[in-house]
Amino acid sequence: MSIDSYRFLDFASRQVMKAWAARQERGVIPFTPLAKPLRECTIALISTAGVARHDDRPFDQERERRDPWWGDPTFRLIPLDTTEQDARIYHMHIDPRFGQADLDVVLPMRRLTELAHEGIVGRPAPRHYSIMGYILDPTELVEKTAPALADRMRADDVDGVALVPA
Amino acid sequence: MALSMIPDLTRAVGVPRLVGISYPMGRPLGRPHDADGQRVILRAMLELLATAPGPDTYVELPFVWPESPAQARNASKDLPPPPIVTLLTRKPWLLVNLYNGRIPHPAPAA
Repeated sequence: MSIDSYRFLDFASRQVMKAWAARQERGVIPFTPLAKPLRECTIALISTAGVARHDDRPFDQERERRDPWWGDPTFRLIPLDTTEQDARIYHMHIDPRFGQADLDVVLPMRRLTELAHEGIVGRPAPRHYSIMGYILDPTELVEKTAPALADRMRADDVDGVALVPA
Repeated sequence: MALSMIPDLTRAVGVPRLVGISYPMGRPLGRPHDADGQRVILRAMLELLATAPGPDTYVELPFVWPESPAQARNASKDLPPPPIVTLLTRKPWLLVNLYNGRIPHPAPAA
């Protein structure tokens, strides 16, 4: 690995994340080969920026302010035609202004559509997703949110997913 | 398949396919309105979906962020700190819990 993973973090965050990485135990890593050529695949995106549409429920910032150890483990559905005009970023641990100026910085749905037009991938899924990246206890994320996302993606015949951190 | 700005930590968790990039938090695909720069990152991710031979496949993108870490952080210094930072500034002895992953059980929703 030639990238310095901790280059852009402040000192305290760097120490904490290095400690987490050193303590992490890897189990069996799942792997599913693509079932067909990439140019025929339906692709969905997941952003951890905490993106929610204006007509949807916001991520719960108030509860996190009351209990800073807690992060909202739910997800929001982001239809393909959503732009930065239609949505807001609720993640309080990143600067939201970059993704707010151009949603493709965190959820590259327009870039995905372009890659489909170029024939690199088959098509973008009709529905994409956002979760909130600050979750210290991932139990509900793993046990409830992830399976719910998988169910919806299966319903949309999604072949591959790109997970974009924030 | 996943992108990560902290690939060391993401690899430690263990993911099937990973693309590492040395960009600051909040800007995983790069600068706003840099469509070409965004597209090449997403394309690299998607191509790894097809080309990865097995689990824990890792590739690094060579792109260099145009600012130093200090400059990248300064761009956001007018924002309020996240709640956990405010709490730990007030009660620094709790930092050891974060470091050790001892996360208090969530308070019930009000």
